[in-house]
Amino acid sequence: MIQLFNVIKKYGSGSPALDDISLRIEKGEFVFLTGPSGAGKTTILKILSGWEHFEEGQVLVQGINVGKLNAGNMHTLRRSIGVIFQDYKLLANKTAFENVAFAQEVTNRNRKTIKFKTWEALKNVGLTSKKDSFPPQLSGGEQQRVAIARAMVNAPPIILADEPTGNLDQEISLEILKLLEELNRNGATIVFATHSQDILKLGNHRVVVLNRGKVISS
Amino acid sequence: MNSVIQALLIGSRATIANVRANVQTFLISVMTIAISIGILGLFLIIFFNLNGFLASWNQQVQLIVYLQDDISRAQKGNLEDLFKTNSRVQSTEEVTKDQAWQEFRLSQAEKSGLELDLGFNPLPGSYRVRFKMSDNRLLHISKFAGKIQSEPGVESVEYGKSWVSRFEKFMVFCRVFLMATGALLSFGLILIISNTIRLSIYSRQDEIELMLLIGATPQFVKIPFLLEGMLQGLSGSLLSLGLMEIIYYYLRNEFQTSIESIARGMGFQFIPEPFLLILVGSSVLIGLVASYISTYQYMQVLNRR
Repeated sequence: MIQLFNVIKKYGSGSPALDDISLRIEKGEFVFLTGPSGAGKTTILKILSGWEHFEEGQVLVQGINVGKLNAGNMHTLRRSIGVIFQDYKLLANKTAFENVAFAQEVTNRNRKTIKFKTWEALKNVGLTSKKDSFPPQLSGGEQQRVAIARAMVNAPPIILADEPTGNLDQEISLEILKLLEELNRNGATIVFATHSQDILKLGNHRVVVLNRGKVISS
Repeated sequence: MNSVIQALLIGSRATIANVRANVQTFLISVMTIAISIGILGLFLIIFFNLNGFLASWNQQVQLIVYLQDDISRAQKGNLEDLFKTNSRVQSTEEVTKDQAWQEFRLSQAEKSGLELDLGFNPLPGSYRVRFKMSDNRLLHISKFAGKIQSEPGVESVEYGKSWVSRFEKFMVFCRVFLMATGALLSFGLILIISNTIRLSIYSRQDEIELMLLIGATPQFVKIPFLLEGMLQGLSGSLLSLGLMEIIYYYLRNEFQTSIESIARGMGFQFIPEPFLLILVGSSVLIGLVASYISTYQYMQVLNRR
């Protein structure tokens, strides 16, 4: 479960990026975060993953008080979250298989488990045939599927997706949405940030609308 | 335990990848370390050889007790008793006025080919006192000389006090100079290595951020860079000491005989093994400290977001 209580986040001295935001996302829920550019979608996801500090309020993720974490124990939060980015953030010098395996290596899993789980994750996103390809040799949709495999390989209870279809055409976007919906059916809580109305229409889920750092409707 | 080994294995693989990605910077850093360690090593070689030289001269120092011409038999007996009762005295040899004059005339005749005949003997009689080998040999000689000097019948004592103390002062200066140079070079090395590691970190910035985002611990992220710093220190020092050893063996083969003849049996020595280990260990430690500084600073920047 995710809870934000009166969260305020400022960048410099300008108007706040998040202005007294309160939000509750239940375990196993699929939620769209939407709004125009600068609405605060990405900032919320960064705060949930402990990548950005916030000035005021409280954030609870899986019972962890995010504001109380420091650099030394932040990994406990991040290991319960899978993150998907618009620009995929795959390592160009690693193959698809190695990129997915990498997410497990950092959590010190043994090699046998890593091999097995990586293969399973690639199978789930339909990319076993491309396991030895490097990111530049893959299409945008394929790269995003590798990123999804990487996010899901450790079976985190929460997946945060920041504009995961932003660089993809509608057909591929639908494919990505279906993959995330499948993860949701398997029990993962999904927070999907998008400004695409098409995606919002295609997925029949709760929509949280943001504008200038405030929740307009939820 | 297994997870630690695995983290180290992954860290080592990442270190090799880092080195491959920045091979030129890595080599420049290793060369700089090698040059710095080389300078330090050269000073150490000079220092240990001078020290050896001093030690070998120290062991040759003997006390000469010059006697007054009118010294009585009883006074002589008293002096001989003092020599016998001192446990550090190895042997004594009496040189009479006549023997001293004969020795002097012989040596002068060898040098100039002229026979000296002054009609009188200006040289005093003396005792040559040799001391046993010990750590504080010079100190004992100096103390004993002070005691003997005030004995009746003694004209003066001589044991090369002035040059020995001057040489010892020079060795103290050498020690201070070595330490200062070592500290200065270490500081320079820390700056160089930490900059190299910083470049390495920036070249893998995306990967580091991703590692942290997907749940890596700060230690997991730091390990490859710490290993890289240590590797730079190790490679630099081994390269430097290896080259120095080759040069040392070459010089020893070429000049050992000449050195032995000048320094009366003293050998030309390389840096002693414990100091070699200290040099390599310090170099690795400097690499570790420098890379720790870089990674710590980078992590601080990330955490300040």
